[in-house]
Amino acid sequence: MFWFYAERILGYWPVLLKGLGMTLGLSLLSLLIGAAIGFAFGIIRAGGNRWLSRALGIYIDLFRGTPFLVQVFIVFFILPAAGIELSAFAAGVVALSNLAACFIGEIVAAGLKAVPQGQREAALASGMTPAQQMRLVLMPQALRIVTPSLVGQFVLLIKDSSVVSAIGLLDLTRAGWMIVQSVPQGLMVFGTVGLGYFLICYPLIHLSRRLERRGQDALL
Amino acid sequence: MGQQARMIEFSGVNKWFGPLHVLQDISLTVGKGEVVVVCGPSGSGKSTLIRCVNGLEPFEKGRLVVDGTDLSNRRALRALRMEVGFVFQSFNLYPHKTALENVTLAPIHVRGLSRAEAEARGRALLEKVGLGDRMGNYPHQLSGGQQQRVAIARSLCMQPKVMLFDEPTSALDPEMINEVLDVMVGLAREGMTMMVVTHEMGFARKVADRVIFMDHGAIVETAPPETFFTAPVHARTRDFLGKILHH
Ligand SMILES: Nc1ncnc2c1ncn2[C@@H]1O[C@H](COP(=O)(O)OP(=O)(O)OP(=O)(O)O)[C@@H](O)[C@H]1O
Ligand SMILES: [Mg+2]
Repeated sequence: MFWFYAERILGYWPVLLKGLGMTLGLSLLSLLIGAAIGFAFGIIRAGGNRWLSRALGIYIDLFRGTPFLVQVFIVFFILPAAGIELSAFAAGVVALSNLAACFIGEIVAAGLKAVPQGQREAALASGMTPAQQMRLVLMPQALRIVTPSLVGQFVLLIKDSSVVSAIGLLDLTRAGWMIVQSVPQGLMVFGTVGLGYFLICYPLIHLSRRLERRGQDALL
Repeated sequence: MGQQARMIEFSGVNKWFGPLHVLQDISLTVGKGEVVVVCGPSGSGKSTLIRCVNGLEPFEKGRLVVDGTDLSNRRALRALRMEVGFVFQSFNLYPHKTALENVTLAPIHVRGLSRAEAEARGRALLEKVGLGDRMGNYPHQLSGGQQQRVAIARSLCMQPKVMLFDEPTSALDPEMINEVLDVMVGLAREGMTMMVVTHEMGFARKVADRVIFMDHGAIVETAPPETFFTAPVHARTRDFLGKILHH
């Protein structure tokens, strides 16, 4: 019985593979965009301009404090009403990048704030521009502190990406929904889907843990 | 003192931290090649005073000219900071860089030296402060005294015209104090203009041209070391000297 269904599920491998590809592509693209924006967010949040930092803080909290599914619906269903028409994929990338940027922004800001004040003063006293202080002195130290959390955030991003199946993107989760229509074995089908996510995430979890250990050694 | 000979000139500088009047009417001129030691009780404004010299602290009133640059000109500040070295009590070495990288970072990126030039200069300076065998070490692999010597070399590698020291030895174990002071004495004898906040009176006796005593944000007394230690004019100075010289 088990093998019978297992074979039927695996018979859908092209769909599963396509879903896996979509999940990976969506997550990776959103990670890249989200990281680029998130680092900028982090620099602003930890920076000297109080009003800008506060305004951005409210924006970030707004997205950290609402369900991601709702955000996806807003981007996909409500923005078109304002004249911004997005494909499901683009809407997924926008919503996911934005969420990633918000989380990464707070992580990077925390890292920057954890760098002792004396570091900035030493860099400043040597005549570095603010950009040089950031690039040569502050960010490298902040990165050391937050890399494990950043990798952990990527894992969350991959899992959050499953929400975009709700707007019809054929990602790994949606592939599961499709297969379960003809193979009425929910547990096995979604077990397979879960395994797919796990296979992507597990190495990252492992990496995050290793970085954390190495970070503790390096910060002696 | 001629116009050229003036390196640091405070005239009527006042600064407040909220209600706290932390610098009160500071007027002080430091000539080229002069070594000035600043002492005074905790909280008297010594750090604030020398942090003004390279613009780490802004001030509200008065005029401060360093190496011909008026500090009120915020745009000239970065160029000025290249000419003014600052050594911190807590070293503030970059923990993610080796000793040599710490020393060459600003010369490469701020002065625009080639890596080879900067490294040649940096190696020579690390040799000079007695750390020729430690160039590849990270700060956490060095003792406090060694870290502070790297920090001094880091400032010197910019070839500054003025060196500022804010209690450079007070975070050090007693047995490491002299290795840092020796470097500073050497520097003073080579003719570097220096402002040094310290309670190391042996250092002041050896190389200071003048010793300044601060209390409650004001300069109470200024005198050459011989007079300062043997015949201080003010009661508060005598009081303070009594406290620090008796242990
Ligand atoms: N950023 C700040 N905000 C508010 N008050 C400050 C600040 N920095 C220093 N102060 C206060 O200004 C006064 C002078 O401080 P400063 O650090 O210049 O003293 P100091 O003579 O260097 O003392 P110490 O010997 O303890 O280093 C102190 O009362 C201190 O509490
Ligand atoms: Mg101080």
